[in-house]
Amino acid sequence: MTTRHTLTLILALFATPLFAPAQAFADEGAEAAAAEEMTVQQILDAIDANMVFESRTTKIKMTVEGKKRTRVFEMVSYGRGKDDSAMEYLTPAREKGTKMLKLGEDMWMYLPSVDRTQKISGHMLRKGMMGSDLSYDDMMTTDQMAKMYTPTLLGSEDVDGRPAWKIELVATDESVAYPKRVQWVDKELFIPVQQELFALSGMKLKSWRMGKIEEFEGGRQFPTWMEIVDEVKSDSKTTLEFGEMSFVVELQDEVFSKRWLERK
Amino acid sequence: MNLFRLAFLNATRNRTRSLLTAGIIVGGTALFIISMSWLDGVWDQILEEGTLQGGHIEVVTQEYRARASLRPQDENINDLAPVLDALRSQEGVVDAQPIIETGATLTVGEDIGDVFGAVMGAEEKYFTEYMDVDSKIVEGRWLKEGAGELVLGWKLAQRTGAKLGDEVILLGMTQDGSMSPSKGTLVGIARSGSPLVDRRVFVDLAAAQWSLDLEGGAMKVLVWGEDREDVDELQASIAALPPLIGLDTSSWKTLPPWGGQLGIMAAIRFVLMFMIAFLAGLGVWNTMMMSVLERTNEIGVLRAMGMTRPGAVFLFLFEGIAIAILGGIGGVVAGVLPTLYMSRHGFSYPESMLAKMEVPLPTTLYAQLSSEIVLLAFLTAIFTAVIGTFLPALRAATIQPDSAMRRN
Repeated sequence: MTTRHTLTLILALFATPLFAPAQAFADEGAEAAAAEEMTVQQILDAIDANMVFESRTTKIKMTVEGKKRTRVFEMVSYGRGKDDSAMEYLTPAREKGTKMLKLGEDMWMYLPSVDRTQKISGHMLRKGMMGSDLSYDDMMTTDQMAKMYTPTLLGSEDVDGRPAWKIELVATDESVAYPKRVQWVDKELFIPVQQELFALSGMKLKSWRMGKIEEFEGGRQFPTWMEIVDEVKSDSKTTLEFGEMSFVVELQDEVFSKRWLERK
Repeated sequence: MNLFRLAFLNATRNRTRSLLTAGIIVGGTALFIISMSWLDGVWDQILEEGTLQGGHIEVVTQEYRARASLRPQDENINDLAPVLDALRSQEGVVDAQPIIETGATLTVGEDIGDVFGAVMGAEEKYFTEYMDVDSKIVEGRWLKEGAGELVLGWKLAQRTGAKLGDEVILLGMTQDGSMSPSKGTLVGIARSGSPLVDRRVFVDLAAAQWSLDLEGGAMKVLVWGEDREDVDELQASIAALPPLIGLDTSSWKTLPPWGGQLGIMAAIRFVLMFMIAFLAGLGVWNTMMMSVLERTNEIGVLRAMGMTRPGAVFLFLFEGIAIAILGGIGGVVAGVLPTLYMSRHGFSYPESMLAKMEVPLPTTLYAQLSSEIVLLAFLTAIFTAVIGTFLPALRAATIQPDSAMRRN
């Protein structure tokens, strides 16, 4: 693997910010883990080896549990390299045909009911995507995070009965959405199973959990379930379930174009 | 009887002084009638217009009420039909209207813009009979329900550059916070000078429900009874209706902006009355005190002839009251005539003065003359004269005959 690529749309949300500083391969991490003498950089590198890919397609079921009702969205997502990702909503009927496209740092959303494309920028980036606990800003985050955070290994703790490293990431640039992150990384699988995001004031903004880790092509470990809680909103929780996921897929260039975005 | 006669004669002896005293009473009484009539008239119009558009009772969820100033989009009456049915069939309820208020960015053309507008969704009856927006259409016509049409306030039309027939894109939020795009054909532009019309987007209730993802629901239901002042009993009766149990049914008297204003208006009214009475009383006191000083010798003679101290007090009090009655009658005439004129013709002010008003206001304000105000003004004139005369009268009563005569 000569060029590292970040995750596609959804994985970029969670995985890339967590693992962007990673530099090495999974097997190296596993060996180091066995020696119990890994540096924080090695841990992040090992995670990256699991989470980074060149292409990926998956179906996503997003369940948003609100104070009064629960809404379920189904999407299909495509990812190519570190810059490009695309997603289309399949259900519910109200959102069907809504598409999102991320090319580099830019993001657009196609709104079929009015046949218009909305660029997602400014304050919109921090709003909940479809009213979920997940913001557009989360989606925009790429491996630039590697340059924006300084990692510190805080120690080891058990998460759901499994040993994990506790790592703190502090932003070098205070203008980022989450100036501080604390994550717990499974020592055996090199998957971050839990993460907490903080504001500059120290207030906890979001909590993320990842689970149902499965093995994919080439022995890659990958979480197929994520739960995000926006701690600022009340009585809200968003769950993501990934299905039909593949990391060995040929994706057409057209998928990552504004032409695809506006195609009915 | 002699005292009355003497008091009347005294009042006519120094006509300039008596006219000055009466003039003060006339001025105070007239000012009382004019200011109170204006205050009552303007306040009544504000309340009438405000409760016409805002209802006598507002039905919302308890959660909405707790955060009402933020207009929470996620606290709604989800099952509107039974609530409306119960309200509209309740005795004493004249009407009940569902309302949705939300926000959206408006766009005409390809790129979604950044012009923000307050979107209001309601049944046609509310718009035409309560808000009277259809009469404020300056271009085009009022919207037809279910036709995918909308009406824009003049300011919004200006800022977006929208023209009649354009497709206007509204990008709002659902009650869950999802992006909510919708569109409508612009069929009318309304203008009133107030942001309540000029910065609003008017759509039918179904379109607003779709935009908020609130099919079959509403943010609030406005209820009107027979009389806005007599709303407490009605409020209690609708709060007990089964579909409304658990909902908040506050009357306009407790809701902003009126809740806090009622006490303030009562205080303003009292302070104004007090100031007018005080100033008039001061004037009466001044002229009557002059009268006492001028007549010290005369009072001494009367006292020497056997006039008692209470007699001296009553002599001046009767004089003061006689002048007050004449001044009061003159003041009523002087106050009622311009007030009657202003209650018929009103006072119109420029539309631009409404630009920052967040409460509905008519552009012509009328005075409201009532018999209560006239009677109160007249009685205040008498009372003021009695108070203003009392101290000089007491002073007259303390004059000793010998010392008064020695002054000569």
